[in-house]
Amino acid sequence: MVAVQETIDHVKEIDVDKYKYGFKTDIEMDMAPKGLNEDIVRFISAKKEEPEWMLEWRLDAFRRWQQMEEPKWARVDYPEIDFQDLYYYAAPKSTPGPKSLDEVDPELLETYKKLGIPLQEQAVLAGVEGAKIAIDAVFDSVSVVTTFREELAKHGVIFCSISEALKEYPDLVKKYLGSVVPATDNFYATLNSAVFSDGSFVYIPKGVRCPMELSTYFRINEEKTGQFERTLIIAEEGSYVSYLEGCTAPMRDENQLHAAVVELVALDDAEIKYSTVQNWYPGDKDGKGGIYNFVTKRGDCRGKNSKISWTQVETGSAITWKYPSCILRGDNSVGEFYSIAISNGHQQVDSGTKMIHLGKNTSSRIISKGISAGVSQNTYRGQVSAHAKATGARNFTQCDSLLIGDKCGAHTVPYIESKNSSAVFEHEATTSKISDDQMFYCQQRGLNEEEAVALIVNGFVRDVLQHLPMEFMAESQKLIGISLEGSVG
Amino acid sequence: MNQQIIKLSGAEEQLKALLLAQGKDEAATQFAANGLPTRRIEAYHYTDLKTLLRDVPSALAQANDGNKAARSEFAGTARVEIVNGELAGDFDLEGVSVATSANAASGDDSVVLISEALVGDTVEIKVSGELDQVLHIDRIIDGDAAINADKVTVEVADGCKVTLLETFNGSDAAHLGLATTEISLGEGAQVVHLQLDGNSNETRHFANNRYSLAADSLLRTFVQHTETPLSRTVVTADFNGGGAHADFAGLNLLAGKQHADITLNVNHLVPNTTSTEMFKNVVHDGAKAVFQGKIVVAKDAQKTDAQMMSQGLILSERGEVLVKPELEIFADDVICAHGATCGELDENSLFYLMSRGIPRKEAKAMLIRAFLAEMFEPIEVEAVVKQLEARVDSWLDDREEA
Repeated sequence: MVAVQETIDHVKEIDVDKYKYGFKTDIEMDMAPKGLNEDIVRFISAKKEEPEWMLEWRLDAFRRWQQMEEPKWARVDYPEIDFQDLYYYAAPKSTPGPKSLDEVDPELLETYKKLGIPLQEQAVLAGVEGAKIAIDAVFDSVSVVTTFREELAKHGVIFCSISEALKEYPDLVKKYLGSVVPATDNFYATLNSAVFSDGSFVYIPKGVRCPMELSTYFRINEEKTGQFERTLIIAEEGSYVSYLEGCTAPMRDENQLHAAVVELVALDDAEIKYSTVQNWYPGDKDGKGGIYNFVTKRGDCRGKNSKISWTQVETGSAITWKYPSCILRGDNSVGEFYSIAISNGHQQVDSGTKMIHLGKNTSSRIISKGISAGVSQNTYRGQVSAHAKATGARNFTQCDSLLIGDKCGAHTVPYIESKNSSAVFEHEATTSKISDDQMFYCQQRGLNEEEAVALIVNGFVRDVLQHLPMEFMAESQKLIGISLEGSVG
Repeated sequence: MNQQIIKLSGAEEQLKALLLAQGKDEAATQFAANGLPTRRIEAYHYTDLKTLLRDVPSALAQANDGNKAARSEFAGTARVEIVNGELAGDFDLEGVSVATSANAASGDDSVVLISEALVGDTVEIKVSGELDQVLHIDRIIDGDAAINADKVTVEVADGCKVTLLETFNGSDAAHLGLATTEISLGEGAQVVHLQLDGNSNETRHFANNRYSLAADSLLRTFVQHTETPLSRTVVTADFNGGGAHADFAGLNLLAGKQHADITLNVNHLVPNTTSTEMFKNVVHDGAKAVFQGKIVVAKDAQKTDAQMMSQGLILSERGEVLVKPELEIFADDVICAHGATCGELDENSLFYLMSRGIPRKEAKAMLIRAFLAEMFEPIEVEAVVKQLEARVDSWLDDREEA
């Protein structure tokens, strides 16, 4: 009940147009000129001191991108993006290579403090004694500081920025980059391949259980900068890693573009758990501004008995276009997708997952909870398919939508494709509002309307929340409250 | 998309030429701009007609005494016969009037566009009474391989009641059948509409069934695809009056290389309407069954209750069941749900039956019959249920395996 009370407090104290994380840090930025052409791609690659093959890879992607058309099939509506009117590279200017936190620009640290990132050890959540979180913080496009590196190194875990990985482990990057999401996968992934500026690289060696939760906080800061991160996580045979990604962005007038690519590779008996809390600026109450979040996330269960689990809490962004997927290639591999997508105000969400069953006896589970309020549109779009050789494939899908208010929309578009007789698929979806009976029951017991809604909504999303790591659960519950602000009454 | 760059396939050229020959220049131009639908068009995601419809007959159907289709007979029904799109014979039944009029409708969807453009006369049926007798509309394609477009409209007056049984029969040739049926239900009208596919196993069959429901009307529909190599029925229903309720049902029972598609669009446009949807797919060999069902609840359509179910049974290694149950909801005070399942026969149930001495083949047949029984139960016309059951029996007999 504590969490519920917290939600209510947040609902009371925060307005839609008083976005909590809407502050701006004034640090000198090192920026590339506006627009996108081959020179910009070369500029980014040169800035990162990348090897020649990487530049070629980027240029190839860029040339392909120029031939591609922006996808229009999602149920989202936004004015045409002028890709020449964006900055493709912005890096904070700082003393070269900060060795410790003391050397980091104090203003940056202040920003993180406001965000509530537990950057230093004492910030590790109270009550989770001994728990440690390693953070690779992405401030705009460049990783500024990476903590806990040494302890991770003891276990052989590599956790660094992708540009650093390109310098120090080029073979690993070359082997896996683009192997799950090919450079030409889709419009935004291709754009990302051409201009990605940074991101995280994680490598868990054979048989290692990563000793702590790895975490990245992304933040878009400079005006009109597209943020293009690239995340690559490789879990070798028998290893385990849990990765957390949290996003907040300052308030901005203009729409900002975010097109990230996340690739996960799980080899034999490996398990990757990827959790996201996304709370980017959703635009003001009139639908002005906000982040365009066009993300390609895909995990490849390449080895036998491997497992990839996606958990996401999507509360921010003006437009979300995101389908974390699992390719279940290895026999007996498992894919999971747990999602809470909340839209309020003028937000538009088109999100879901793809479970592609290729190997034998693969199984997948999808639990999606969509909540729409205000004048938002919330779509679940998912695909479950069993290929002819996917004997014994198993899927269970549940997608529930909750409508708050009569001006919003909730949509469900599942594609269920079974090409194998032994595949067993189950899908169920429901859409409803909070029933008067439920409200009456709660209010009759002394809760006011807002408290009752908060209680019911928290119950509605409980199935998904419990799959989040402890640190994220509390934060998510707060976020849900903030996101639904103003939807009652 | 530039309209000029589409290269028409042989079948498309043929259809365009036929439209021009019929003096439908406007439709021909519109058709040539889009061609046949491909999987890029969402409604045809699983039924790409550019690849599935590679050849089409070159002429419209013409009667030919040497090649006549079998007529379906159902005891105790009043029969309206439509041969090659034209009303055949007289009809006299109290409370029902049958007439024809020139068709002028058109459509954006390429299949609807051709269907409407090639229809000569529309057969108009008006029901203004409470019919005890089942009204049987037998739609027939006689003659050599041809394209046949026919259209039937049924207007059921306020408070009237009718059971419509439609059958499609074709002579033994590779026809392309384009059938349009429009049924409007007046206030408080009650309609049962059963559509049975009895075409030859070479005919490609496309049907467009459109319903409009006025306040407090009651509709029950059933479509079935078992015979033809390629079939697609699009069911579209608009709820225009509060208190209306409809039950939609359909069955794809396929084997060999058959491809059948049932696409359903249920539009709850006004408050206080309800519907149920129940669709089943059974595939054997390399057959492909498609069900796309979309329930739309418009902005003001509060108190809508829609429950959709789709179940698939795959009996062979190469069979495919492709399902897309969609919900599109713009009102909050609604209850909408859909469920979809897909799998093979339950081994435990088979074991249970076999352990009691029933041979495997028979046990399988028993389970398949049980799976389908639920579909036939609400069809209250005994003659139709008997025929459907007989069809299932012969279908099962044809599947030779242990």
